[in-house]
Amino acid sequence: MTVLGIGISYGVATLVAMFSGMPIAFALGAVAVIFMAIYMPSASLDTVTQNVYEEMASITLLSIPLFILKGAAIGKSKAGQDLYTALHAWLHKIPGGLGIANVFACALFAAMAGSSPATCSAIGSAGIPEMRKRGYSGGFAAGIIAAGGTLGILLPPSITMILFAVAAEQSLGRLFLAGIGPGFLLVALFAIYAVIRYRQEYARAKIAYESSGEAHAILTQDEYTMSERFSVLPRVLPFVILLTGVMVALYGGYATPSETAGLGGLLALVLIAVIYSVWKPSDLAPILTSTIRESTMLMLIIGMSLLYSYVMSYLTISQSAANAIVAMQLPRWELLAAILGMTVVLGFFLPPVSIILMTAPIILPPLRAAGFDIIWFGVVMTIVMEMGLIHPPVGLNIFVIRNVAPDIPLSEVIWGTLPFVLLMMVAVLLLCFFPGISTYLPDLVMGPASR
Amino acid sequence: MHGSVDDRPHSFDAAPSNSLVAAVARALSALNRIIVIVSAIALILACAVLTYSVMTRSIFHSATYWQDEAAVYLIVGATFMTAAAVQSTRGHIGIEAFVGILSPLANKIRLILVDVASLIFCTFFSWKSWTLAHEAWVDGTVSNSTWGPPLSIPYIMMASGMTLLCVQILLQIAMSLGKARS
Repeated sequence: MTVLGIGISYGVATLVAMFSGMPIAFALGAVAVIFMAIYMPSASLDTVTQNVYEEMASITLLSIPLFILKGAAIGKSKAGQDLYTALHAWLHKIPGGLGIANVFACALFAAMAGSSPATCSAIGSAGIPEMRKRGYSGGFAAGIIAAGGTLGILLPPSITMILFAVAAEQSLGRLFLAGIGPGFLLVALFAIYAVIRYRQEYARAKIAYESSGEAHAILTQDEYTMSERFSVLPRVLPFVILLTGVMVALYGGYATPSETAGLGGLLALVLIAVIYSVWKPSDLAPILTSTIRESTMLMLIIGMSLLYSYVMSYLTISQSAANAIVAMQLPRWELLAAILGMTVVLGFFLPPVSIILMTAPIILPPLRAAGFDIIWFGVVMTIVMEMGLIHPPVGLNIFVIRNVAPDIPLSEVIWGTLPFVLLMMVAVLLLCFFPGISTYLPDLVMGPASR
Repeated sequence: MHGSVDDRPHSFDAAPSNSLVAAVARALSALNRIIVIVSAIALILACAVLTYSVMTRSIFHSATYWQDEAAVYLIVGATFMTAAAVQSTRGHIGIEAFVGILSPLANKIRLILVDVASLIFCTFFSWKSWTLAHEAWVDGTVSNSTWGPPLSIPYIMMASGMTLLCVQILLQIAMSLGKARS
């Protein structure tokens, strides 16, 4: 059979296995093993497990469970609520300040926890009821939290970025830094939108009040005294110290990215023990069980995705596909648009980790040939995959919001998140026109990239 | 589906139909509980090892040579050994977007077929892991580093974890069949 034929049958077999509802990890592994048995020398079947082990046994990949542990420790403590209360106390004077406080809280929390769903549920469970109590519409409140949560895979430490760095053989430290500028850009866009939307809802409530005398919660103002504002700070500071401490360890050259995972995990456990007295085995059990569930599930998918792309590359499917794309000689931006479009479609079905590992060998060579900076592309691709978290049909964050605030109708949540999807597209466009937003910081800290 | 799907109450919902299946189910769930605890400790230990590595390097300026690898072994062990525990709550996610269009009966049949396919793959993987572990044990293969711990350690953990996973899936198939018959 020709490479094209093998490639097509590989793709079709994968689709059938995936859509049967078979666990993603086993589906990928089974398809890979079947194609090994048919098209590869029989000896390769004997080394299949060695292959998986050797691909997985890198400390960079294996730092993922530790980042998940750190996220779970912070996510299941009351840190989210405290962070949120503090920001609200300080920002309430600004019109739409509550919305902005939620965006900032999501960003900070995401940077500590590194997970979108964890951020949504931690900040959302405190933030959504609070915003609705103050008269924000359900869709607006849900949209802020769903979109704020996606910052989790853009700001360091992002699991998605760890995989991209491994798949694209790029510096993880550099990639982490490249996500910070776009992260701030998104925070700014979300915050500006929150103010505009707040003013609209405020104006509408005011007109209703003046015409019918119907009071609306959005019209009430609350006050915090200075002592109240300062009294909330001590509970938040340790986490801000954790965040900066880990960053300093990483970029001050004291620790490798995987070592910061260990350091951060241990520090997070110590902090929740000291601040929230979460140290008894019965308190720690839910944190550790959910860590194991998520990390084992994810690591098996990663291991099998690596096997899957090994087979794809051995059978020269990925190389041929990459060459075919290069041979099409698409104009640069059309190539990028096509690749990002494909990422969006794949995002309907697959978790970001599998998308990266399965597509990297195919899409990176054409992008390199077209002269794109791969670090920059990693950030853009991450934002595009984040959009998949808040738009239908899958939109994991939407479902997390449904758990946190079951009384907001699904359609209202989806309409509420839509403006944020558009804002993320705007961010992608801005990044295309001004790549410096992403590349400035890594170039500044780590020196210009050698490309 | 994306990312984590936490807190899905999926545990053994069927009353096991015969005593052998019930006994295996009880034993496996007890074993899984112990493994989860040990693995959680292993993850915390891996954090501690990596923290120790940062400390010794920045304070005492001593070279670190075993820490990364020790952490790798701990995390690989925790990952494979808990595969069965995660399967017991159906925690290995699949794409279920198109499952909703099937009738409940078709869905039951689909689930059994999917489990059988998973079982075949995992059995193959366990078998090859055991031969790999056996070779590494007999040849005394060590990891390719200055520390050089035996590779049979992670291989044996991978093989045992995958074998437990097979038993877990087999048990779930037996339970589905038992429920279908009753």
